[in-house]
Amino acid sequence: MSVEVTKLKSRWPSLHTDRLFVVVSRLIALALLVVVLSILSPYFLTWTNFINVLRQASLQFMMSAGLTIVVLTAGIDLSIGAVLGLSACIAASLITGGFMILGIAAALFAGLACGLVNGMLVTVGRIPPFIATYGTLWIAFGLGYVFMKGEVIYGLPEGFRFIGAGFVWGIPVPVIVAVALLAALHFLLQKTVLGRAIYAIGGNPDAARLSGMPVTRRLITVYGLSGLLSGFAALVAIARINAADSSVGEDLLLPAIAAVCLGGTSLFGGVGGIMGTAVGSVILALIVNGTNLLGVQTFWQNAVMGTIILISVLVDQLGGTRLVRDQ
Amino acid sequence: MDRRTFIKTTLAATSATAFGAMPEFARAQAGKPVTIAFFVKNVTNPFWKACRIGAEKAGKALGVTIETVAPTKPDNIEEQTRLVEDWIIKKPDAFVFVPVDYKALEPSIQKANKAGIPVVDYNNRMTNVDLVTYIGSDDEVMEYQICKSLFESMGGKGKVVHIDGVPAASTAQARKKGFERAVKETPGIEVLTSQPGNYRRLSAVQVFENLMQRFPVIDAVVSANDDMAVGIAESLAAAGRGGKTKVIGIDGIPDATAAIAAGKMFATADFSGHDQAYLAVTAAVRKLRGQPVPKEIILPVVIVTKDNVKNFMKTPEERDPPDWNKYTSG
Repeated sequence: MSVEVTKLKSRWPSLHTDRLFVVVSRLIALALLVVVLSILSPYFLTWTNFINVLRQASLQFMMSAGLTIVVLTAGIDLSIGAVLGLSACIAASLITGGFMILGIAAALFAGLACGLVNGMLVTVGRIPPFIATYGTLWIAFGLGYVFMKGEVIYGLPEGFRFIGAGFVWGIPVPVIVAVALLAALHFLLQKTVLGRAIYAIGGNPDAARLSGMPVTRRLITVYGLSGLLSGFAALVAIARINAADSSVGEDLLLPAIAAVCLGGTSLFGGVGGIMGTAVGSVILALIVNGTNLLGVQTFWQNAVMGTIILISVLVDQLGGTRLVRDQ
Repeated sequence: MDRRTFIKTTLAATSATAFGAMPEFARAQAGKPVTIAFFVKNVTNPFWKACRIGAEKAGKALGVTIETVAPTKPDNIEEQTRLVEDWIIKKPDAFVFVPVDYKALEPSIQKANKAGIPVVDYNNRMTNVDLVTYIGSDDEVMEYQICKSLFESMGGKGKVVHIDGVPAASTAQARKKGFERAVKETPGIEVLTSQPGNYRRLSAVQVFENLMQRFPVIDAVVSANDDMAVGIAESLAAAGRGGKTKVIGIDGIPDATAAIAAGKMFATADFSGHDQAYLAVTAAVRKLRGQPVPKEIILPVVIVTKDNVKNFMKTPEERDPPDWNKYTSG
């Protein structure tokens, strides 16, 4: 037992260097993308486009933030898009009904509840995260359908829309919110017991358990947090688009996973961090921005997107930063 | 309208049909209650909700039971194929059908033909199958006509952005064709770019925000549906460019008619799921009763602008049922 503890302790500094490499390499990829787009399009390197890209990236980041934490524990949360959709419908319904505070609380609560259920299924129920969250994905979508019955809610009040569509000193509110969230989660992961436990569990769950960590409780907290953040992202998303229907979260899962991977967080857990996901979100937003500015043909866009994602991760692998852990 | 009244009315309507609130003649004529399996593509899009309400209204008026059949995964081919097979076994009196994919569902409907179930096709046209009739609108003609009227209002010249739907969807391809035909016939119109918004508001809004960076002057935006069009109109306003760009959509969803009334959007084309479904159920019942049904009914294109928007601001529940004779007398 004491051996395991030493192992765990000695692992922490190396994790730190891993993360540094990954973040630096992602920043290089980001810089490269910026340089190429600046050369190709005269409309790219402007202040308004900069703000525009950041605003799109911030929403992506909020959707990927909770997922990052789950992935760090070597888990996955496939239900984020569906939970976002369900929270969005509940919130929009209450908010347009005149209960703004209640609507906000309900969205957060619904997200948290779904997340806690995921956590219980994964730990107490011992269902692999992939299956457990795939199940809750369909339940959340299903409940969304039942709740909405094909209806779309439009026209949220101006005051509420501020968090999605407002500006403070020329900076979009979602960007400010995303930066605050980034700082908070970075602090959580680096400076708190929970944060260090997340890395330890992802690095070696048995070692974490043997060293006396309350792994079950930590994991439930992690999945709960992921759900809570989905509920939060739902609020920003509906405030931005001024509408909600049960399918609002449908296309959001894969880009969220892509942003996490692009950010250098290993799907095998223990390696990566929230900073990387922020960079990954900006890269994703840049790719869409670039294809639009350059007028890439409609039919080519998906293929271009996939290619850039793969190249970007491949460069990492060949460069020796271990996104996939070597045996 | 709020959801609570909607849920109440839907419950009332379904329980009324389920508990046999049928006119006496229908029971006497059929001996047993007539059941029609009414298919929709999904339960998420308000368009199909309007269809369902149209079908249920027709069912109530004609004294038949409507069973709505929808895939739980929106527009899922494999699931709809299974649903069709299940319903062939249940053997309702007729199918009122819309394929999620007109090619992929062909074999399934051929099976229904073999089983002797009359099939009315609505909204998406099918080929190589036996149909009682086809009832729908023509996407290409709709987009063509609304673009023509947009270009006319611009004096036949200007810079236009096209926001596409899901590029692979047949409706999106037909709508794009209509747009391109209208552009070809109007030499003064310059197409700045055509980019996909995937029929979704969030995606379309982000794409359009990017395009605004590239094009400081956009005279008009042609959007492949209303949901995207409303989002685009809002992002124009948010960027301080509201009122300078004419935005058009297609479908006639409540959010779009509200935007037109408020002067944020220029026009939409009314794609009435309510009317299509109502007429389709009527056609099925007429066939069962041995009354004549034409080979196809194509609903005329109705362009909604600020001048006539008041008539289109009704919810599907409030809409008047379409008059069968008006559409079939030529």
